[in-house]
Amino acid sequence: MNSVTSTINVNNSFASTDFFNSFLEKRSWEPGWLADLRKDAWDSFNALPKAKIKDEMWRFSPRARLGYSHFDCLEESVKQIALINQSSNGAVFENFDQAILNNPNLLSHLPSCTGPELGSQESFLLGSCFSESGYVLKVNNKTKEQSPFVCKHIAPTQNRTLFQQNIITVEAFAELTLIEYFDSENEKTGGNLTNLCHINLEEGSKLTRIIIQRVNDQSTFNHLEKVELQRNAHFNGISLQLGGAQSRVESRGVIAGEGADFNNYSLSLGRKEQLFDQRTIQHHLAPNGKSNLLFKNALLDESKSIFSGLIKVDANAQNTDSFQTNRNLLLSTDAEADSLPGLEILANEVKCSHGATTSKIDEQELFYLQSRGISKSVAEKLIILGFFEEIISKAGPDDLVQSLRDIISDSFSD
Amino acid sequence: MIKQTNIEVDREKGNFHYPTDKYAFDAGVGLSEDVVKYISGVKGEDDWLLNFRLKAHSIFEKKAMPTHWASKDLENINFDIIRYYLAQGQQPSRTWEEVPDDIKNTFERLGIPEQERKFLAGVEAQFDSEAAYSRMKEDLEKEGVIFVGSTEGLRDHPEIFKKWFGKVIPTSDNKFSALNSAVFSGGSFIYVPPGVKLAQPLQAYFRINAENFGQFERTLIIADEGAEITYMEGCTAPKFETSTLHSAVVELVALKGAKIQYITVQNWSNNVFNLVTKRAMAEEEAEVKWIDCNIGSRLTMKYPGVILRGRKARGEVLSIALANDGQHQDTGAKMVHAADETTSNVIAKSVSIGEGRSSYRGLVQMPGHLKHCKNNTECDALLINSSSQTDTYPAITVKGDENSVQHEASVSKVSAEQIFYMQQRGLNQTEAMSLYVNGFVNDLIREFPMEYSVELKRLIDLEMEGSVG
Repeated sequence: MNSVTSTINVNNSFASTDFFNSFLEKRSWEPGWLADLRKDAWDSFNALPKAKIKDEMWRFSPRARLGYSHFDCLEESVKQIALINQSSNGAVFENFDQAILNNPNLLSHLPSCTGPELGSQESFLLGSCFSESGYVLKVNNKTKEQSPFVCKHIAPTQNRTLFQQNIITVEAFAELTLIEYFDSENEKTGGNLTNLCHINLEEGSKLTRIIIQRVNDQSTFNHLEKVELQRNAHFNGISLQLGGAQSRVESRGVIAGEGADFNNYSLSLGRKEQLFDQRTIQHHLAPNGKSNLLFKNALLDESKSIFSGLIKVDANAQNTDSFQTNRNLLLSTDAEADSLPGLEILANEVKCSHGATTSKIDEQELFYLQSRGISKSVAEKLIILGFFEEIISKAGPDDLVQSLRDIISDSFSD
Repeated sequence: MIKQTNIEVDREKGNFHYPTDKYAFDAGVGLSEDVVKYISGVKGEDDWLLNFRLKAHSIFEKKAMPTHWASKDLENINFDIIRYYLAQGQQPSRTWEEVPDDIKNTFERLGIPEQERKFLAGVEAQFDSEAAYSRMKEDLEKEGVIFVGSTEGLRDHPEIFKKWFGKVIPTSDNKFSALNSAVFSGGSFIYVPPGVKLAQPLQAYFRINAENFGQFERTLIIADEGAEITYMEGCTAPKFETSTLHSAVVELVALKGAKIQYITVQNWSNNVFNLVTKRAMAEEEAEVKWIDCNIGSRLTMKYPGVILRGRKARGEVLSIALANDGQHQDTGAKMVHAADETTSNVIAKSVSIGEGRSSYRGLVQMPGHLKHCKNNTECDALLINSSSQTDTYPAITVKGDENSVQHEASVSKVSAEQIFYMQQRGLNQTEAMSLYVNGFVNDLIREFPMEYSVELKRLIDLEMEGSVG
């Protein structure tokens, strides 16, 4: 079950009928409704209007770099992702294919999933159509999982694309920590991983989700997620974006129930010509909700980040507290940071703010460290680690925080 | 707790209507090449200007509406029912006695005190598309300051104005700058010679007065090396049944070490589309300051910008927007840094009342080869009623490790405790609310010249009437 090898060798365009039919054939063991779902997504993909040059959702983004033209061939040997700690009684944690066979009911709300809708409709539809990997995670009512669940995603190489779908449901008053690693199979060649994530947090539930993205320097990483929070649910997302030649992360947090709390923290360390394209929305539908977003990017060499965030407060989402912060640290003349922080507020009993700053390292801090005998490059690294500390510290237990620190520290050396 | 009801402003207070059936020149309704030729002909313009207008007209036809990011309300503009040119066919008046009585009446109703009229350094009171009254103090003339309308500027002083005309804002900048370039009339052309520092601000009052008649004035201000000028533009418009269009182009050129301050108080009536392109060019050590206050109109789209071209140039935008029922104030600022050590500052405050919507759109650009550029942006929004809306959409691009940018925005509501406190001290609710809003914008209003800040406070009081019940 761990490795499914197939021999599809049709000419690669995702839009070709032959290709799609042979794909369906390969997955003919699936239930009919899932095949119908794939067909619907494929039809919508083919009906997508041509990309407009001036699209606010893609402002500042070198769109061609993120497209599928470089990686227009599906990964042939799909290695199902490794899941650790799936033996728990209070939870179901299975990879996508297992879930189709064992627990198809867990996929039941797949047809109503819409994705973040922040520009990458193409990725979303292709993902809905061609996903062969991913996982399904459900934590039962009132179950409090003590040790974190871990999931290791492997990004494809040899210029291939892999689509994944993940469905997370945390039932009422359950609690869980989930750690997801995204790594490439090897460092030799690049590929594209498109990862769709649907997260449902029911009343009073709590999810801490940590992403560690270290795909190789030639790869593309597309991550689209939608987090829906019911009454008093709590989401704490921490994301370490370290790898990839280019990545696009789209995240939609929907505060659907009263008193829900959505937190989205992310850090990126840009080196060489890395591109980080980040699009977020904090959408408040219900009153008394809270949300907080903090995206920090440290950019070296010729790396570039684009942060586009929106806080949207609907008219009846009174008493909302919502904050959004983007901090960019530029460490070279050729690094570039674009910021598009946005607010759309339709309720008046709110506390909302956003802030965006872009600057270089404080000369005095650098001088201080150097005067203590620390070389400039080490001093810079220390300052960057300090800059990221605010985000890492949100991860919770000390040992976990320390391991995240080590991961960032390691990514400097290569 | 404040009881929240929708605001009702008596728009009749701004109803400065007077008959419009005696216009000597009328280009008819709608826009075509013939209309453009007609306007140019009436003004007796040179061929180059006619060609400029015709080219602009063809660009206007080709350009799409910017609805991929802007309000869909723009689609409600019907370009075919607008009159593009209307004037009484008179030369700008020289003395007060020559000004026709009905225009004097309008000034009377605008409430400009007699004393102040005399005091103004030079009044360019614009009646429809022509300057109806224009006078300059003799000492200004002695200093070599040129203060004329757009037609006279390009006809009598081409050696000064032609060089910069349409250079800061190219015709093809956007659909509305192209429209303005095709049919512009009126506006002010000002040249301040090197080293001349004007102690008193220059002013022009604008009036719109004929149904469906858009006003397309064109302003170009050139401050030569070391010169200083403050220009004030204030607008009131009569009330009409159908929408009118106001689409101005304002270009400022601040040469080395010059200072320009451009102040606008916009109070068009609730049916005017106010789509204005304003941009300044600041050379070495020059300083440009836009002070912008938007109270009226149905939809205002205005993003004053400064291109910081010379070392140590400085750009500033201070903006206040008040959006009431049926209004959308879509304002902002653009700061393009194009030289080392340039600095810019944007402070925008908006108040949304009733179902009003105010938006801030900003742009800050700093390329990587520059050093020591700084930008500071602050946007504060105040929401009065539960149906009010506010948005903020800044776009910041920074390259290189020698520049720094900070942007902050916050949204808040009127504090119930503070209103309660004021009511305890004997103010009624409306007065308390007015005081609160005035307090919110106070630090910006202080930047305005005295007479404008008084006028502004009066306008805010008027807008706040009935916003709470």
